[in-house]
Amino acid sequence: MNTIDAQLFAKMFLAGAKNLESKKEWINELNVFPVPDGDTGTNMTMTIMSAAREIADIDEPNLENLSKAISSGSLRGARGNSGVILSQLFRGFTKAIRDKEAIDVPLMAVALEKAVETAYKAVMKPKEGTILTVARGVSVKARELADAGCEDMAELLAAILAEAEVVLEQTPELLPVLKQAGVVDSGGQGFVEVLRGWNDAYNGVEIDYTLEESAAAAAKAEPVQEEVDIKFGYCTEFIILLERPLRSRQEKDLKEFLESIGDSIVMVADDDIVKVHVHTNDPGMALQRALTYGQLSNMKIDNMRLEHKETLFKKAEKEAGEKAAVQVPEEPRKDVGFIAVSVGDGLNEIFESLGADQIITGGQTMNPSTEDILKAVDKVNADHIFILPNNSNIILAANQAKSLVKDKDIIVIPTKTIPQGITAMISFVPEMSIEENVENITSEIGAVKTGEVTYAVRDTTIDDKEIKCGDYMGIDGKTVLSVGADVTQVTLEMVNAMVDESTELISLYYGEDVSPEDAQKLSDRISELHADCDVEMQRGGQPIYYYIVSAE
Amino acid sequence: MSKTAIVCDSNTAITQAQAKEMGIYVLPSPFHIEGQTYYEDVSLTTDQFYQKLSDKIDVATSQPSPEAVMGLWDRALEDHDELVYIPLSSGLSGSCSSAYGYSQEPKYEGRVYVIDNQRVSVTQRQSVLDAMLLADMGKGAKEICDILTEDKFNSSIYIMLDTLYYLKKGGRITPAVAALGTLLRLKPVLQIQGEKLDTYAKARTVKQGKEIMIDAVKRDIKNRFGGLDNPGGVFLSIAHTHNLEAAMEFKAEVEALFPQFGEVHVDELSLVIACHLGPGALALTATKKLPYYDESL
Repeated sequence: MNTIDAQLFAKMFLAGAKNLESKKEWINELNVFPVPDGDTGTNMTMTIMSAAREIADIDEPNLENLSKAISSGSLRGARGNSGVILSQLFRGFTKAIRDKEAIDVPLMAVALEKAVETAYKAVMKPKEGTILTVARGVSVKARELADAGCEDMAELLAAILAEAEVVLEQTPELLPVLKQAGVVDSGGQGFVEVLRGWNDAYNGVEIDYTLEESAAAAAKAEPVQEEVDIKFGYCTEFIILLERPLRSRQEKDLKEFLESIGDSIVMVADDDIVKVHVHTNDPGMALQRALTYGQLSNMKIDNMRLEHKETLFKKAEKEAGEKAAVQVPEEPRKDVGFIAVSVGDGLNEIFESLGADQIITGGQTMNPSTEDILKAVDKVNADHIFILPNNSNIILAANQAKSLVKDKDIIVIPTKTIPQGITAMISFVPEMSIEENVENITSEIGAVKTGEVTYAVRDTTIDDKEIKCGDYMGIDGKTVLSVGADVTQVTLEMVNAMVDESTELISLYYGEDVSPEDAQKLSDRISELHADCDVEMQRGGQPIYYYIVSAE
Repeated sequence: MSKTAIVCDSNTAITQAQAKEMGIYVLPSPFHIEGQTYYEDVSLTTDQFYQKLSDKIDVATSQPSPEAVMGLWDRALEDHDELVYIPLSSGLSGSCSSAYGYSQEPKYEGRVYVIDNQRVSVTQRQSVLDAMLLADMGKGAKEICDILTEDKFNSSIYIMLDTLYYLKKGGRITPAVAALGTLLRLKPVLQIQGEKLDTYAKARTVKQGKEIMIDAVKRDIKNRFGGLDNPGGVFLSIAHTHNLEAAMEFKAEVEALFPQFGEVHVDELSLVIACHLGPGALALTATKKLPYYDESL
């Protein structure tokens, strides 16, 4: 046996996913910064699990339907930079195998090359010393063996796994930040674990192939908006057999009534029937109202709070599709809409007050997937939609979402921090063209300096600063500006390092773990120390970051 | 006896003393404060006004009374055959349409022309200067009225507010402006184009706000007022509410950026406007120069 058929490939893929999942926490800890946001393992796991779920739905696998499932599943589930790159690797890989019966050594070499080529293309500035480097090492090795006439798949898989580990060990030499932190690249490690799963499965090592995500991952896997939707507990569906055709006024009335008692409304009417779908806390009211128009049939009421998460997931997807199909023609689109990624009720409120149409909950600890972003795009009825990722690790997923949207113009403003996102929204001028706005906003966000205060999750040394587990740190994205045991002192030192003579405004957003009194004291102290600047304090309510500070 | 008199209101920020010097008539705006009526630059100085504003004493504005308007017209017509009246923009105040009503009285027919050219403050002042030039050239009141009315869209105003407080308090707030009421402390930049007062953009700092106004004016000059390469083709002015130091600094910045348009006039925004915008506002305006200026050389 020197080829991999569809059955085996499905097994291998699931084994890779499973193995990655089991190493997830460990990979999370390979983060360069010792901040509690090391989510590479989680992000990659959620990306690959999204593909694995689609594979699990296939009854009779062949390479074509497997390829489709892997490609679209990982693409839509992609989260974080490593997740997006992983999804691109899979997409490239499956492009090479989708019209084949089985994978032999030469095809494996071609597919790996295709994978690497696709992934490099997806990244604007490919960085070496990352998952990309590991993947390229693997494809070069496979090519070498294939060209040398190797036909033994077991030998090839073992060799590429070994090569991946070698390249991974070299990543600190390529990326100085890794070396200083004393870790290998976490994305690269994730990729190695996928290959290890493939190798084990091929060699028949006993693995439990059933898919069960850990409770934490499953909870996180639930799309964020779904949690919001669940404020209406019963999914209610029925058909009204009309006594006479609805006049448009009646149709509008019924719809407005449904909107007043619930959400997720889908209503399609023709002359004889009306199909209604609504999420509500009082299905009885919906039914009673419907009875005034005619008899009911095909009634179905589910308690969504009790449903298994998996079905919820699928239905939401289906509904989103239906909704998009039904609702789009109803209202004229507005010109411009905004989607912001944010976390914390205070920050969410700020974005809403500035005119954000959709808030995707997420950030450092929880990178939203491409799918989450696509759902938000679906809900914004506008020709041009600005997406503000507000985190460097979400920009790629936003760009990926952009490439999947055909009927709307998506503009991703590469905001790396919450304050940059706020400034982007403030800087928008309705009267200027989209191009002028993009230029203007891009230059404005460049003038925003951001610092964030959080705590260290392990001992390390960065930028020649010794950091102990539990210390507070002020970070500006690339460098640690201040470290210490007192959060106020650390924040003040960070602010000192951020402010220069051109600074006019210092904004302070305090997190959920900070009391308003403490924040006020700190704000007063900053006003004293920087008398030339305006100081504005707002409740952000964000987790993990005690303070997010901007200077502009 | 010269033929055409120029009459305006104190929203031009032209003082009574200046009016005398210029040979024109300025109607002082009335204010009602704690049951008393005061008149701008007559019984109420700028400093007194801002003191009351900062003491949070309610300051109400109203249209000048018919007696006041017609009384001033009658005075002007003692020495002139006819007059043009240039009041505050009809988009911001009803006094323009009231004045138009008075001008329909038989005794004013053919003698009084009320100009509704949507100007405010420094741009309204520019209209007064324009009218003076046209009158000097021998043009009659009707012709001056036609020329200035036709020119009404050749001017724009951008105003950066320090606070939304007074605008909200005065009820002069369009839905678009109301939408600015956010949690963050913002410096809204409003615009006046024709009769509309509307939001234009938002800034967080004075520097950003000034950049926004400069960019906006640059766009207007480029697209609407004859281009940036037309020396002297545009009047640039700055107006402020009790913010002279910042206004002078801004003047120097604007003059350095647009040397081709010469000196930038700086004035206080009239108290009627200040009442609704509050202190600390800064405005930049651009007005296309009438072609008659070149002819008159």
